[in-house]
Amino acid sequence: MIKTDIVVIGGGPAGICAAINAASSGAKVLLLDRDSQLGGQLIKQTHMFFGSQKQHASVRGIDIPGILVKEMEEYKDNIQIMLDATVLGIYEDGVLTIEKNDDYIKIKPKGIIVATGASEKFPAFPNNDLPGIYGAGAVQTLMNVYGVSPGKSVFMVGAGNIGLIVSYQLVQAGVEVKGVICRGPRYGGYAVHASKLKRIGVPIMPGHRVIHAHGKDKLERITLIKLDENKKEISGTEFDIETDVLCISTGLTPLGELLWQMGCEMKFIREFSGHVPVRNEELETTVPGVFVAGDVAGIEEASSAMVEGRLAGLCCAKKLGFTNPEYSSLKEDYLQQLHDLRSGPVGDGIRKGLAKIVV
Amino acid sequence: MNKSASVVIIGGGISGCAIAYNLAKKGVKDVIIIEKEYLSSGATGRCGAGIRMQWGTEMNCRLAKYSVEFFETANEVLEYAGDVEFKQGGYLIIAATEKEVAQFQKNIKLQNSLGIPSRYITPQEAKEIVPHMDETQILGAAFNPKDGHLNPFHTTQAYADAAVRLGVEIMKYTEVTGIKVENGKIAGVQTDKGYISTPVVVNAAGGHAQIISEMVGVKLPLYSERHQILVTEAVEPMQGPMFMSFSQNIYCQQTPHGSFIMGRGDPTEPRDLRVTSSWEFLEEMAKTCIRFLPPLKDIRMVRQWAGLYNMSPDAQPIYGPVKDVEGFFLACGYSGHGFMFGPVTGVVVSESILGEEHTIPVDALSYDRFEKGELILEPSVV
Repeated sequence: MIKTDIVVIGGGPAGICAAINAASSGAKVLLLDRDSQLGGQLIKQTHMFFGSQKQHASVRGIDIPGILVKEMEEYKDNIQIMLDATVLGIYEDGVLTIEKNDDYIKIKPKGIIVATGASEKFPAFPNNDLPGIYGAGAVQTLMNVYGVSPGKSVFMVGAGNIGLIVSYQLVQAGVEVKGVICRGPRYGGYAVHASKLKRIGVPIMPGHRVIHAHGKDKLERITLIKLDENKKEISGTEFDIETDVLCISTGLTPLGELLWQMGCEMKFIREFSGHVPVRNEELETTVPGVFVAGDVAGIEEASSAMVEGRLAGLCCAKKLGFTNPEYSSLKEDYLQQLHDLRSGPVGDGIRKGLAKIVV
Repeated sequence: MNKSASVVIIGGGISGCAIAYNLAKKGVKDVIIIEKEYLSSGATGRCGAGIRMQWGTEMNCRLAKYSVEFFETANEVLEYAGDVEFKQGGYLIIAATEKEVAQFQKNIKLQNSLGIPSRYITPQEAKEIVPHMDETQILGAAFNPKDGHLNPFHTTQAYADAAVRLGVEIMKYTEVTGIKVENGKIAGVQTDKGYISTPVVVNAAGGHAQIISEMVGVKLPLYSERHQILVTEAVEPMQGPMFMSFSQNIYCQQTPHGSFIMGRGDPTEPRDLRVTSSWEFLEEMAKTCIRFLPPLKDIRMVRQWAGLYNMSPDAQPIYGPVKDVEGFFLACGYSGHGFMFGPVTGVVVSESILGEEHTIPVDALSYDRFEKGELILEPSVV
């Protein structure tokens, strides 16, 4: 059985930052990820980030893991990284079991930081499992990680930032994007992304949903229907569009299974798209010594995930007796950064969600 | 929201639903089942779901045989829209010690005398029935081809649906917080959703039966023991019977859809009503399983869970009234076989409530057997 101070589960932006800050406070850290490289979803995000300099604004997502991994090297005596390692369970006595290349490994940490991220939501309609129907994450992986085109023509469901960005990237890669729909009366993403699409002639069609997919062995055609301002279907407005790929980008939901397993108190928070753990300002859950950071704590974005990771790493280490000499000023800085990222109208939902879940 | 009922049954597992169905079928109106969570959320839905008639006491043999005969026709009798998935692939109970050889031969004589078609077989014959077993690990085995496996969720739902059609009300996500007794008689049940006045309460609370009984001042000689189970990925059908050993603490069955489920308990654990999982179970279970069924080492497990055995001093149920509290009836203490006894529980407990003669004589299973010291020890439990 491996013994360590802190296990960080998930090597995305939140998990890497948590590992850095726990290690820089003096704790021995084991960072786990089920993928064969660190970076989480960043490894497929070729677009540039917003926010401020501290959260790597104007840097492309794919370049951020490299910057963070370099920072991690400063603390390499305190950080052990285990890739291709899937956490199977966390048991009543705090032991984690792991599968790595068909090996079964047990780990007993003193503290745990869960940074498992999120999974994609998938709307229900007949034939939604036909080959050719992808989540936006899979399309980005094919295109940006493996350089494989998902198809000749794509229809996008969902006009949040991911739906808009992926549509634009598909056009850049030479794929025809036949249209982007969303259920509400206006696209949900930033205007800067929507304008780019409009300029190259991709129609954004609010007030629609997919009600059926058609095809024999793979997707050939979809049926759409118009929705009124209350998102109710208007009968008689159905129409078909031919496409060989349907890309679903209707949001994410937190991957909180391990938190449920540990007995953390969970609450359904609409603004965070699912069940998230009740926690304090330091990101400690109701199970002492178990911290969270990033999308598993509520769907937000990578910038705040990185700051949450740093805060959780700092505070989890402190809890175990590893106090960073600059603990107070760092904590204040991270809380301020989070406050700034969540201010303004874009942060409305996040602030409402936090008010219900932070104790 | 206050209401009244003729009978309140505490517990929405197989026992509670079967008792409610039998009462309603006999014409009892206003029966209410109170369930803390959802149907089958306790011991019923967490059990290994094996069904066997190979017991070491005449009582348990009779109870089991009655239940098996019911399961064979359950879909039709309960007019169930689904399927209770009764697979009669048998039970192969291996003898790993000389003591077990002697016990099984004695058991089989008793079982055969009651019409149960079990037989003692050699290791080679056992290997023909379960070809992937290591027959060198055993001295012999008891086999009954009519034992099997049943889906606990569907079976409970079948009873519940039939009961509801006959007018039974099921209150889910409702917790009993107290039971009111006046002048030695049941007066009502307090729940977190309101008070129910009733002259009759049935304690079918599974792993929590001793807690319910304390609400009326009756201290049952019961405790709950955690038993754990793991389930593997589904593979091609390869094992007909349940493979089981009392002395080696294993049962292992392939379910109709292809996954293997296997489980065991640890009597040395603290008796604290936990239903969390342990990694020690996983490792010990896997080792034992592979010792007897070596090819299973290549199958991946997908999940594990735990449930409570409600243990009685003689490993047999407690059925019927409690003499100090009029209107309080027990259906608990199954010691790990409450699911397979569900049909007979429904029949005999409803008969106790209505003062009818029992279809199968179960007076020996009454609560006062402990006072009188008349235990009927069941030797064949895992």
